Amino acid sequence: MKRVFAFLVLAATVAAACGGGNTAGTTSSPTAAASASPAPTAKPIQVGLVTDVGGLNDKSFNQAANTGRLNAEKDFGLKTSVIESKKQEDYVPNLTTFAQQNYDLVIAVGFLMQNAAWKVAKQFPNVKFAIIDGAPANDAGNTENLPNVANLFFKEQEAGYLVGVVAATMAKNKVGKATHNTVCSMGGIPIPPVDRYMAGYQDAIKTVSPTTTILIGYSNDFVDQQKGKEVGLNQISKGCDILFQVAGGSGLGYIAAAKEKGVYAIGVDVDQIDVAPGTVITSAIKRVDKAVYDTSKAVKDGTFKAGDSSFNATNDGVGYGKLDPVVPADAKAATDKALADIKSGAIKPKTDLTVKP
Amino acid sequence: MPIVSVLFALAVGAIFILASGHDPISAYIDLFRGAFGTPYDITETLIQTIPLILAGLSVAVAFRTGLFNIGAESQLLVGAVAAGAVGARFGFLPGPILFPMVLVAGIGAGAAWAAIAGYLKAARGVNEVITTIMQNYIVVFVIHWLLQNGPMTAPNALGTPASAPIGDGAVLPIIIPNELVPLTRLHAGIFLAILAVVVFWFVLWRTPLGYELRAVGLGPRAAAQAGIDPRSRTVIAMAIAGGFAGLAGMIQVTGVFHRVFDGFSAGYGFDAIAVALLGKNSPIGVVLAALLFGAFARGGSIMQANAGVSAQLVSVIEAIVLFVIAAELIVRIIARRRGPKPLEAIA
Repeated sequence: MKRVFAFLVLAATVAAACGGGNTAGTTSSPTAAASASPAPTAKPIQVGLVTDVGGLNDKSFNQAANTGRLNAEKDFGLKTSVIESKKQEDYVPNLTTFAQQNYDLVIAVGFLMQNAAWKVAKQFPNVKFAIIDGAPANDAGNTENLPNVANLFFKEQEAGYLVGVVAATMAKNKVGKATHNTVCSMGGIPIPPVDRYMAGYQDAIKTVSPTTTILIGYSNDFVDQQKGKEVGLNQISKGCDILFQVAGGSGLGYIAAAKEKGVYAIGVDVDQIDVAPGTVITSAIKRVDKAVYDTSKAVKDGTFKAGDSSFNATNDGVGYGKLDPVVPADAKAATDKALADIKSGAIKPKTDLTVKP
Repeated sequence: MPIVSVLFALAVGAIFILASGHDPISAYIDLFRGAFGTPYDITETLIQTIPLILAGLSVAVAFRTGLFNIGAESQLLVGAVAAGAVGARFGFLPGPILFPMVLVAGIGAGAAWAAIAGYLKAARGVNEVITTIMQNYIVVFVIHWLLQNGPMTAPNALGTPASAPIGDGAVLPIIIPNELVPLTRLHAGIFLAILAVVVFWFVLWRTPLGYELRAVGLGPRAAAQAGIDPRSRTVIAMAIAGGFAGLAGMIQVTGVFHRVFDGFSAGYGFDAIAVALLGKNSPIGVVLAALLFGAFARGGSIMQANAGVSAQLVSVIEAIVLFVIAAELIVRIIARRRGPKPLEAIA
């Protein structure tokens, strides 16, 4: 009897799934009407943010994107929402959810969403999309610009170069606990934005201090702190005393390894000096919040531009964070000079890794 | 009891929602609406449910034989990799030939991989909990290697660690026309999942093998007295468990992703343990528990978008469900130890 009942439940579910389908054409408009109803005069601009699997509390770019969203909401009177993606297969439905509710702008945070954004943006030509760190990519893996998608790119190599100057100067002069003339970096997954950070970092070290040993590793993860910590401990055992993380949440474990062993770390994306004071000496900053904020503003002002946009040192889209007191004045001076040279075009940091795993 | 544990978990979850400054009632309404509010939401919930059903069956069949399969995750991944490799390598073949090959590859790889743990338990007495956990690590790292500049890495994989796409013949079709539910991704894998539930029920309760497996699960020594060799049944049970999990991975590849990504499972094999426990290792129980967890997964995202309550809350609720069930099991085990052992009928 129980079994029969349960089968009925199942059958009812399936029937609901199929039967409900007949009304699909009409359901989308009531939803739109409902979301528009709170504002009787003018419909507020709606901005939806979809994070990647790193989650909102990655103390890194998802969090920065969310900061940009909240600032835009406050400053421009927008209506905004966020969905955290728990796994890669959630990207398409999460983006679709906002698009179906007729959001004005849907922002996909992260390179890993390129294909998902392509799929959804093609289905909703009247909704504007933006991809942080990426451009729409079709199923064959080729990028394809769409008229309703803004591709928000950053020159990570410039931020990587700046913190590389800090690390190299300290390693060369054996400042504080940096006694082994060996510096390291760890990426999450080897994808272009991650590698650009580390390419700039290595470029600076080769330029400023050619004798310094450079090691590189990957945690193969943007979430798991333990994996980041293992890579960190391994590198420290090989003499590393300045560790630059480019691995989102996983990188927090990498910083924890540096803290545990009493060496230095460099944060990424947002200012991470408060993550481990005394351990984190500076951070490579990428103003994802600015990209989200500016794009939301552009949609509100009607100046949204599809295609590539670059956020770089010149427009304050990238930079370096607060410095720990241990960083000597000459390192700061060298970094500021490098920043000026990048802005003037005298230095063009490399985008390809010199030292590979 | 499962319903009580779910209600208890929801009640505790409500306290968390209140503490975070939101209204629990409206949050739960958003959770429900997110999972079942529109036809699109229902199809997305079902997509989440399919791998949970299959991985849940994997854990359940092992439980019925007295084995704790913590390795459904790795068996799922092995099945996915095998299906993805065959689907891409022989992608030029027509569907009627290619699809069965991919199906067999996924199920077979999962079964063979799990059978290793079964064999070690039967021949060497190695605890299957240990071996299946270790197998998870092995697979995760082998997949890193395969997909990051390894033999399976696609030359143009969107820049992410991923394999080449499988041939069109291996792709599971979308079963609901776009005119009915626009953009739906619900694929024919749901039929395979339903079929698997029927197979699970039939094998365990309508065949001599199923009787023997359950007999071993209830008491290996008694089963041995009755002439059933617990060792061979252990290997067989693990192989069946691995087959279900491998099918889950194969369906994710052929139905959802059409290629293998690094880190694409996100813990279905672990959620499956909760699904099997909550479903009391029965066919219908597993389906309903998987549907509940699938609805949580889908609805949690929408709850976050609309009510502003973190989607992580869903994980908290799931954990409490598991906690209550585990507590019940422990109480029962203690009661059994203390009192005289009751004669157990083979249910």
